[in-house]
Amino acid sequence: MKRFGWSAVLLAVAAVPLAQGWSGAVAYPVFAAAIVVAHALVAAAGSRFGGGTVLSVLLPVGLFGGYFAARGAIPGGPLEVLRDSVPRLLTAARPAPPSVDLLMPGAVLVFCVAVLAAVSLRGARLLGPPLAAVALYAAGALLTGGQADPYGLVAVGVVAVALAGWVRVAEAPLILGAVVALVAVVLPGANAFEPRELVRPPVADVQVANPLPRLAAWAAAPETELFRLRGPQLPVRLAVLADYTGASWRASALYGPLGAVDAPDLPPGQRVEEASVEFVVGALDGTWLPGVGRTVSTSIGDALVDADSGALVLPRGLAPGLRYTVRGVVDQPTDEALAAAGVPGGPAVRRYLALPNLPTELAEYARRGVESARTPYEQAVALEQVVRLDRVPDAEAPTGSSYARISQFLFGAPGSTGAGKGTAEQFATAYAVLARAVGLPTRVVVGFPPVPEGPDGYRVVRGIDATAWPEVYFDGWGWIPFDPVSGTDSGPSAAAKREVLDRLASITASPTTPPTDAPPLVQPPAPVVEPPVAAEPSRWPVVLAVVPVLPVVLLLALRGIRRSRLRRAGAAGAWRHVLDLLVVSGRAPAPRLAAPEVASSLPAPAPRLADLADRAAFSPEGDVAGAEPWLLARQVRRAVSRGVPWYRRVWWPIDPRPLRRR
Amino acid sequence: MTATVQVGEAEIAAFRTLHARVGDAVETALRGKRPVIDLVLVSLFAGGHVLLEDVPGTGKTTLARAVAGALGGMSRRVQFTPDLLPSDVTGTSVYDPQTGQIRFRPGPVFANVVLADEINRAAAKTQSALLEVMEERTVTVDGVAHAVPDPFLVVATQNPIDLDGTYRLPEAQLDRFMLRTAIGYPESDHELAVLRPGSGAGAVGSVPTVTSPAEVADCSRRLALLHVADPILRYITDLGAATRADDRLRLGASTRGLRALVRCVQVHAAAHGRHFAVPTDVQRLLVPVLAHRLVLTREAQLAGASTEDVLADVLDRVEVPRPTAR
Repeated sequence: MKRFGWSAVLLAVAAVPLAQGWSGAVAYPVFAAAIVVAHALVAAAGSRFGGGTVLSVLLPVGLFGGYFAARGAIPGGPLEVLRDSVPRLLTAARPAPPSVDLLMPGAVLVFCVAVLAAVSLRGARLLGPPLAAVALYAAGALLTGGQADPYGLVAVGVVAVALAGWVRVAEAPLILGAVVALVAVVLPGANAFEPRELVRPPVADVQVANPLPRLAAWAAAPETELFRLRGPQLPVRLAVLADYTGASWRASALYGPLGAVDAPDLPPGQRVEEASVEFVVGALDGTWLPGVGRTVSTSIGDALVDADSGALVLPRGLAPGLRYTVRGVVDQPTDEALAAAGVPGGPAVRRYLALPNLPTELAEYARRGVESARTPYEQAVALEQVVRLDRVPDAEAPTGSSYARISQFLFGAPGSTGAGKGTAEQFATAYAVLARAVGLPTRVVVGFPPVPEGPDGYRVVRGIDATAWPEVYFDGWGWIPFDPVSGTDSGPSAAAKREVLDRLASITASPTTPPTDAPPLVQPPAPVVEPPVAAEPSRWPVVLAVVPVLPVVLLLALRGIRRSRLRRAGAAGAWRHVLDLLVVSGRAPAPRLAAPEVASSLPAPAPRLADLADRAAFSPEGDVAGAEPWLLARQVRRAVSRGVPWYRRVWWPIDPRPLRRR
Repeated sequence: MTATVQVGEAEIAAFRTLHARVGDAVETALRGKRPVIDLVLVSLFAGGHVLLEDVPGTGKTTLARAVAGALGGMSRRVQFTPDLLPSDVTGTSVYDPQTGQIRFRPGPVFANVVLADEINRAAAKTQSALLEVMEERTVTVDGVAHAVPDPFLVVATQNPIDLDGTYRLPEAQLDRFMLRTAIGYPESDHELAVLRPGSGAGAVGSVPTVTSPAEVADCSRRLALLHVADPILRYITDLGAATRADDRLRLGASTRGLRALVRCVQVHAAAHGRHFAVPTDVQRLLVPVLAHRLVLTREAQLAGASTEDVLADVLDRVEVPRPTAR
């Protein structure tokens, strides 16, 4: 019974990282219950049934239990349900929502592993539970990308529990320790194995209309109620446009079912806030579904989501009166953090920096606009000011976001059509082009700013509220909105921005006048400025430190296993231990020498030990010496080590030579 | 676990005492030669025969007679000469004029200890007669088999072959001796004691009788059951195989030789107070038991090698069974 308790506790500790793969605390009790039930069932089976019988009953029970639990949520028969559950889990959000279908594969795994561990307790070796613990720990590390146990505390706990239950036989904890150490070191690595790469998130190519041109239409019907919402005061996002061709902005075309798509291409910020908002659709049509932040979940089952932006699409189209709730994550950076934040570079953000055939004048204008800014954040604030100053919002202004329209918007001769005048479309896209030109990863969002709450608790969003704004990605803080139209409704606080602007103004006046002179003779800088690559903390020192340690750990473990094997072998083992000692101290006896002859050249208790060993090996009774041989072996060891300097002795425990002997 | 009936430790302790007693008794006549005495006793208790090979005057005969004295029972001595006939050894049928019947008159081999002195001075025919008795333990005269007493130990002495007037024993017959050993000259201290006037050395008559033939025969039967673990047996077969593979030898160890080795190992182990054999027993007995059974090639002989050298090499080559987990 004690064994079962120990095994259950061991597995429960090892399952902690796995349970972190699901959000909330539901997974912990579920897994604990699976472990307890598995052990109770195996214990109840007792010794009446063979191990094979117990396994052949309980494992299918676990699998079918998983099927019955999840059969409503996953279509198909038992096989399909079980087969699809793991890919579904791997393509779900991270951590996965604790729904029955997503929790099922974890619970089934825990149950089956616990059954195996409990059945293995019938043997004498007690190897099963530690190995099962390693399996669960590894599964947890794989599911969470090694994030669940960053400091190896759970691994230490697992080893501690294993040792506590099994202090007498050192074999399993040693293997376990080595394996857990390996898992803990290898899994969180930069190029660690990621099981999610093995499954393709289900995505669909959805034809979506570009909502930017609609801005003018909505502005033309300012009083039309597009939708109403109940929830915190947050901007509502309709569509996210990340790809720019030089002529127009486009939204992503690939959408997948919510909860089954890949993680976003750029990780969300460290400081986020979750918000839940209830929407009631009014005159808003099209397929874009309003949401808040990066969508986590929605009450509409057939809504599709763009993994990177979290924008929602309803392929069947919106209908008046449609009521739904959306839960989303909003980045909440602090001003101080933003001021120091960098922007990422490299292939991951290439999409957000693309400016095909950028006209020189735009690049030069952007460069001069930020030339006194020191950090990416200051550049972003400076550009906001550059775009806003001397330009006025005008609902009648021509639409469009091509280079030509932006050039006209920024540099057009006063009085000409569209010069200095634009809708939110022109402000946002001009900002995005300029920001990309100086290396800030930028995208354009179509949506609605926060509106005040009405008396009935609803916030009514009308046509006049429709707008667009740019968002800049900062390392570690996510996508931060900026507002080049008014300069107010953006991520950083107004005070922080004013501080930046004051500092910039004290250095030099912002280039708010268009460059009417001929372009300078010197070549302008490259249109796309590579953003400064933030020094990513390198894992190489860790790897370099770990690589030489691994063979040492391995040798230690192998020698430890050999020692514990010898310890179980009694007197003969004690004698082999002494022989190992002679080998590592460079006094390996000739193979023809029998034990008494070897012992005759050794310190005092050795002949007695050799005699006991011979007796154990060759007498009909076998080993009956009890603990005496190992006491003698320790005395011999002390006597042999006495004459050897310490700097030789430190190598003894990892000397591989004894391993070559049978 | 080959033998189901095993020899217990108490029995071994009793044997050890007996062995020491016999050894001490023999040593009163032959000082300072305890290892040789022990070997002879091994052969005695293993039910085999001993060939003592040494130059004249080293105490071969004294040893043989001392063993006979300590054993009690009957001991006879046959001095082999070139004109000795087989019937002089085995006995012969004679006509008894009083009863008018043919009667078998036993020869000197009808004894517990037979000292065959200078066996290689007799012609091959006479040697063969003795060797047949050694193997069969019966004498067949006129179609009637006569059993020799039990225990039956032949202690043959032989002068080194290169001395004049000797006939070399054939290999097949040498194989019948369980072990061969030399005695060697005594160490100077012992020799001094022997030479001192009034010393009892060599006085075989003063050797006390400490046991009886029946007790020895019983011990011998019991010791045949002593436990020899499989690794030891494998070690012995490995050693035998190594002698057969050695290219200096024309004839390696026979299976009979290896069986004799096992028997001797059993007694040697018991004589050291163990109820099981260890590799050291094998190593100690390998040369005495096997050396006289091996035949060197002519090249090896010319190169000056001896079978003892070859066996020493074999011991070096073959890995000894180390105590290990079972």
